[in-house]
Amino acid sequence: MSPADERHYPGEIEITHDLTLPKLLLKNAKKFKEQRVAMREKEFGVWIPYTWREYLENVKFLSLGMVSLGLERGNKVVMIGDNRPEGLWAEMAAMCAGGIGVWLFQDCLMDEVQYIVDHSDSKFYFAEGQEEVDKALAIKDKCSKLTRIIWDDPKGMRNYDDPILISFKEVQELGRKLDREKPDLFEDLVNQGKADDICLLFYTSGTTALPKGALLTHYNMLTMGQNLMRVDPCYETDDFVSYLPFAWIGEQMMSISCGLQVGFTINFPEEPETSQENVREIGPHVMFAPPRLYEQMTRTVQVKYLDAAWLKRKAYELAMKIGYHIADFKFEKKPIPWYWNLLEYLAYLWCHKKLRDHLGLSRVRNAYTGGAAMGPDHFRFFHAIGVNLKQIYGQTEIAGISVVHRNDDIKFDTVGKPIPETEVRITEQGEIISKSPSVFQGYYKMDEETAKTLKDGWLHSGDTGFIDGDGHLVVFDRTKDIMILSDDSKSSPQFLEARLKFSPFLKDAWVIGDHKPYVTAVICIDYNTVGKWAEDRGIAYTSYPELSQISEVYELVQKPIMQVNKTLPGPAKIRKFVNLYKELDADDDELTRTRKIRRSFVEERYKDIINALYSNSDIMHMDTSITYEDGRVVKIRTDLRVSEVPV
Amino acid sequence: MGYLPCGIYHEYYKQDHAWWQTRFVYVKMVLLVLVLILFPYLVSPMWLSVAYTISYYILACMGVQLLIGYCGQITLGHAAFVAVGAYTSAMMVLFIPWPKLIVDWGLAYPISMIAAGIAAGMWSVLFGLPSARVKGFYLIMTTMAAQWITVPFIITQYVSRIGGRGHYFSLPPGTVKLGPWVIDSDVKVYYLSAALVVLLTLVMANLLRSKVGRAWIAIRDNDIAAETLGVNIVWYKLVAFFVAGFFAGIAGSFYVTALYFVSPEHYEWFFSLMWVGVILIGGVGSLHGTIFGSMFVVLVFKFLEMTIIPMTDMFPWFAMKLIYIKESAFGLAVVLFLLYEPNGLSYRYWQLKNYFNLWPFSY
Repeated sequence: MSPADERHYPGEIEITHDLTLPKLLLKNAKKFKEQRVAMREKEFGVWIPYTWREYLENVKFLSLGMVSLGLERGNKVVMIGDNRPEGLWAEMAAMCAGGIGVWLFQDCLMDEVQYIVDHSDSKFYFAEGQEEVDKALAIKDKCSKLTRIIWDDPKGMRNYDDPILISFKEVQELGRKLDREKPDLFEDLVNQGKADDICLLFYTSGTTALPKGALLTHYNMLTMGQNLMRVDPCYETDDFVSYLPFAWIGEQMMSISCGLQVGFTINFPEEPETSQENVREIGPHVMFAPPRLYEQMTRTVQVKYLDAAWLKRKAYELAMKIGYHIADFKFEKKPIPWYWNLLEYLAYLWCHKKLRDHLGLSRVRNAYTGGAAMGPDHFRFFHAIGVNLKQIYGQTEIAGISVVHRNDDIKFDTVGKPIPETEVRITEQGEIISKSPSVFQGYYKMDEETAKTLKDGWLHSGDTGFIDGDGHLVVFDRTKDIMILSDDSKSSPQFLEARLKFSPFLKDAWVIGDHKPYVTAVICIDYNTVGKWAEDRGIAYTSYPELSQISEVYELVQKPIMQVNKTLPGPAKIRKFVNLYKELDADDDELTRTRKIRRSFVEERYKDIINALYSNSDIMHMDTSITYEDGRVVKIRTDLRVSEVPV
Repeated sequence: MGYLPCGIYHEYYKQDHAWWQTRFVYVKMVLLVLVLILFPYLVSPMWLSVAYTISYYILACMGVQLLIGYCGQITLGHAAFVAVGAYTSAMMVLFIPWPKLIVDWGLAYPISMIAAGIAAGMWSVLFGLPSARVKGFYLIMTTMAAQWITVPFIITQYVSRIGGRGHYFSLPPGTVKLGPWVIDSDVKVYYLSAALVVLLTLVMANLLRSKVGRAWIAIRDNDIAAETLGVNIVWYKLVAFFVAGFFAGIAGSFYVTALYFVSPEHYEWFFSLMWVGVILIGGVGSLHGTIFGSMFVVLVFKFLEMTIIPMTDMFPWFAMKLIYIKESAFGLAVVLFLLYEPNGLSYRYWQLKNYFNLWPFSY
């Protein structure tokens, strides 16, 4: 597979080996000054704007402040917190001084924080508020390299007097002082940067082992953003909402790689809880989110649809029918007859327009999904309402993405074609490998792993896939996750799970069947929707474990499974399932922070359930313990019902 | 603000409080103004008097709405302040020896209208003073006192006798002059009324989104909490009484042009009660409610008239009882609204808007 032929877009910059992200920031600040808004943050009910000049000044003083506290080139700065302008400033400030940014997921547990801070040799720890400071204080003695903890949000910080702590404002004050003494220092520091310097140390979520730190250079980040925008240009008038963790490469790709090159406005939500509402207010032009967010949207729509009045339900059904029809025309690349176009326009007027408005997708030009598999039903849904949803495929190790759908060439079972300057091939073993200027430099302090992943400049993904007749890449699954069914055929559990999750009642599904006589599934119901469903029917329950075991709920869960079974060949059909007594959770190590199932771990943890699924018993006694975030351990004793799916 | 479409957001509070945030609202408002302008050409002249009666009700009820709906001060004597406005305006036009210049420029009536507003406002403040001390039922009694003292006593017994004209003052044709325009036809009265309604609605809406308006709403919601938070509740209550009285004065002054005379029977206690009923029907605490309530009441009266008058040929008895039928219909309407839609017509309007805003869902 060779790189596509998309070439330059208007306003494209030239990426030399001298260009760095901080230099771009400087350039944008000079170009836009106060005229353009670089970022907004919703606070006290309004979107408080920061111009490019303010952006630069905040970064500058923070950067100089860290320099006066002893930051040197190549030092790591670890950052943890929600999406806020201060987080991005800290990252840019570290880069400006030649430092390397390391992001932690906001909900990381103490052990993970300690591992990453220690492993990355971070010198500074940038914490959002009290919660993050507490984590840092707990681990500081075990991380010898850590010298200062910088905090930003003063809420609850009054009685903290550890000398290692210093506030964001104080650091900026130090920076101002240094700037008065040496006015040219900041620009000198920025100019010392080279494109091949490491700018980010990115810890991958890792479905199997300990997180690995991928080293990415300015050049990696910039070329990745540029090549993506050669496919789908962004404009400086665009709005983008940054609400997914910065520790996820997709967010970096949009906010840093694309954002700095084009200079669009980044918007930060008020609180993580309000992010959906805030996205709706802004109505971003580009979106990149993992499938679970789109799944959540379809779930919301389906539930609201079920609760709507008769007339509204009928209007929705009719519009969706037309929408699906149009989407199928597009997928099959058939010309759309004029009367279907007319019908679609009408459907847009009476339903899809409002629907997109509710979802915050009114203005979206390109919506991307990546990071995990997405069910075809979800995909069709978004195209039916006229949202240009595209699959993206990539890894942290390639600075984000390498393969994407083109506007007029979308197939919901593929992930598209490689972006420019990127080559994707399939090895003889069926593994997807890729090569581009954005391929990373190696794993930090893990040469062995690096050698396994990076061979002759080719990035080995660990994913199995193939290239279809149209030149699209099809990602089957993680190589190690592929199931060998009873008839020796191969099947992808991820694909089955994604299909199951189209039901609004199913939050997570875990499909088992590798080298097993038949396929089974462990289901996590969605507490909100199933709970409401039960309430509407007068079914009493007190908790998630109880609700999940009610026989009506089993019947409810069985329906989507049978629906999916209809489309599957015999051996791949799901024969038995069990409703889990809890939701899978990243805090229990069952999911990665990007919500992928860690199969080997859950297989070990729930081996009793697997045994029950492959035995003749239909009741399984469970005696287990749950660890809460604060360390409490709770015993759970419950009976799980194993249900057979009628074929 | 209420529901905003996706992609409309604000960087400053000023934008957040703006009235016309979307093109949809803009188009709606322009259309509304167009309809108001073209109204006389669209309907038969009979409806013009209905329209300006509605306007009169809106102007009068605006003050009631402010006191009851926004400041929580129940008033049952609002007709008194309208009467003060009407008499002030009429007497100023009639009795003041205006310099020729002012008469030629048609300023006498506008000046008298503003004076009417101020006089009625002051009179209202006088009867609002007890609100510093008393609340609820007792305040209702003091506002009723305003009615009894003002209309049957002061106006009927003394003011009406000034100039020895008997019971009422009539305004000779041509005396009501607004700049170069002599207000002498229903169309002109209608335009005057429409202009006043638009202007005063804007004023009221602006007041309500200002510091003053927030103070009023705070007093309504919980006066003790408001005072604790530093709202000078006595001051703001009196401001509310003044503004409500001012609006009443303007309403009274306007209605003089429609009737060409003033007489105490137009300001009886029944009107004070009815205007409270109007805002109950329209919706307490909503400017839309004032307008919807006024339209509802006036139109219902009109329809009753239109159905009953033709029947008087057959049943002459009806003609005698028309006034009672009207009043009982009004009473029935208030009872039914309190029972079945205590939030009033404005709530229905809000629900209607929501129905489409939430389309195709229900929440």
